[in-house]
Amino acid sequence: MFELICNILLWLGLLYAYFFNVLEAPIPDRVARNPYTLKPDMWPKAIIILLLICIALNIINIIRKNKDNPDFHLDALMSIRARLCIGIALIVAASFVLEPLGYMVTCVLVLFLYGLLLGQTHVIRLAVFSVVITLVLYVVFSVLLSVNLPRGTIPVLRNFSLYVESIVASVKSAIM
Amino acid sequence: MTTWELFTNGFSVLLDPYTFMMVVFAIVVGTIFGALPGVSATMAVALGLPFTYSMAPVPAIVFLVAVYCSSITGGSITAILFKIPGVPSSAPTTFDGYPMAQRGEAGKALGIALGSSAIGGLVSALAMLTLSPQLTQAALSFSPSDIFAITFMGLSILTCLDSKNILRTLISGLLGLLLACVGQDPMYAVQRLTFGSGELIAGLEMIPVLIGIFAVTEVLKQTKKRDTLKSDEGTASVNTKMPSFKEWWGIKWLLARCSVIGTIIGILPGAGATIASFLCYSSETKLSKHPEKFGTGIIDGIAASETANNAATGGAMVPLLSLGIPGGNAAAVMMSALVLKGVQLGPLLLVNQPQYLSATFASMVVTNILMVIVAIGIAKVFAQILAVPYSYLGPIIIMLAIIGSYATNMSIADVKIMAIAGVIGLVISACHFNSAALILGLVLGVICEGNFSRAYTISRANLVNMFARPVAGTLMVVSIVLLLWPIVAGLFRKKD
Repeated sequence: MFELICNILLWLGLLYAYFFNVLEAPIPDRVARNPYTLKPDMWPKAIIILLLICIALNIINIIRKNKDNPDFHLDALMSIRARLCIGIALIVAASFVLEPLGYMVTCVLVLFLYGLLLGQTHVIRLAVFSVVITLVLYVVFSVLLSVNLPRGTIPVLRNFSLYVESIVASVKSAIM
Repeated sequence: MTTWELFTNGFSVLLDPYTFMMVVFAIVVGTIFGALPGVSATMAVALGLPFTYSMAPVPAIVFLVAVYCSSITGGSITAILFKIPGVPSSAPTTFDGYPMAQRGEAGKALGIALGSSAIGGLVSALAMLTLSPQLTQAALSFSPSDIFAITFMGLSILTCLDSKNILRTLISGLLGLLLACVGQDPMYAVQRLTFGSGELIAGLEMIPVLIGIFAVTEVLKQTKKRDTLKSDEGTASVNTKMPSFKEWWGIKWLLARCSVIGTIIGILPGAGATIASFLCYSSETKLSKHPEKFGTGIIDGIAASETANNAATGGAMVPLLSLGIPGGNAAAVMMSALVLKGVQLGPLLLVNQPQYLSATFASMVVTNILMVIVAIGIAKVFAQILAVPYSYLGPIIIMLAIIGSYATNMSIADVKIMAIAGVIGLVISACHFNSAALILGLVLGVICEGNFSRAYTISRANLVNMFARPVAGTLMVVSIVLLLWPIVAGLFRKKD
């Protein structure tokens, strides 16, 4: 059932894209007037048409294969596990909070919360692990590879990141 | 200068102890950079640039070539162990490498990856030394219709990636092609399919999508499985194990084909190691006697991908050294390093200063041999991580995915794309679509559309003229046969 719903949603989404989103800016006049150019919407539209046909066939196949299947009903959707939904929510949330919270806080939170989600029961050990790995990854990417990891836009958290960075920098200068 | 003189001159550069030590250092650094997700080969070469500031031009190019070659190989380590392609060109290595690792054959998978990388690199280095001017002329004579036909042949594999699921595989490939259309069109920069998002105007960045679909999807799958897993024990440590001579002998033609194709693709401007590895993986699936086994964890799949992407490194150096044209992004960084040192790049470089070609060749030979030993050591260190319980390893993979996506362009939008790609990867898996086909479409989509559009205009909108050239025409006929054969064969089987 999940597969059927996804296919139907995909088909409808593609139909919407075909009519409203293939071109989002006008084609320049010189291109529109030239009969020998491939217009910018032709390639994606051709792909969408092929996709609409193929997905329609796939939907028919799914319905035909499952018409005698007793498990083929909407209740089957409830079998999607809560743990998986939380995992998805955590990853998506992490990508959105990375900018305001900054690397340090986001990394500690993701490592700790995802660790709990994956069944880690030693909370203190997990907390220490989260902090240590955050610092290790910071050193590898920011100090050694010069990747400017986000510091956060919230003033308190940004200051915290700068404070940690200053400690790492002083350790680095002491070693060098 | 004769080929033999070039050969001996090149190795005499490496006999200098300082240069040799720098090459060894470059191999270690390059392999580690390559293994880290988000650090592409180009980024690895760029990160290696500061080390060359105090070097003479010839040792500088020797150093950068060593970083470049070893970073491409390093990408296979995380691709096999964690399903995170360290560099985009290692993405096809995950298709067979990760299933082998899950079966407890990670050591053998690493062995075949390192061995075939070395073979591909050595063959392309030899081709670069002996055939540089000829290869460059041949590659530059390729018209847009020829390049379109080559990429179309790569796409024709779609129907063969999963012969039991042709329709779904086709849908996946077409979805990949459509995703490649997001952003500005390659010819006239008209905005398409961005749904009003300013972050998508530049198109979908490859690395976040690859990391999302492979690494994040895998962690999400494991998260779902946690309900049923009783033990939280990690995997045992990994010892890299070279396949037997018999196994190498069994894939000799595969290695030869992928070395040649990889070198040629590497020379083509705009193509590169990623396209080479996908094309070779797909063509070998087609040519194999057991295509259904590809993607289930066989050495052929790893060898095809790794031979091709390393062969492309030698190819990329050919136009740089013989014409002063960079074949790819990494070659462009190397070119800038040479320009900084006042080297006059261009067609006369090989005539007036052949030591650049000979030193590059020697560096590639030494790198491709030494990197096997270095990568075995580094793989051992990375493999230790596998022994960590998944409740610790999973979150680390998520964070590596986030940082790797961010590091590509220092862009938060890329992290969001990675997260969404991870969820899409999960849906693709639940709907029995084929993520390999989707990635194949995405990788080849831009080059395919751009060259089709150019060829269309050159032929004045005449499709017959467009494929009238011998290379393009032949390849298109072969591609169409390859594309339709599994469908027609399936229909005949049904009738029987």
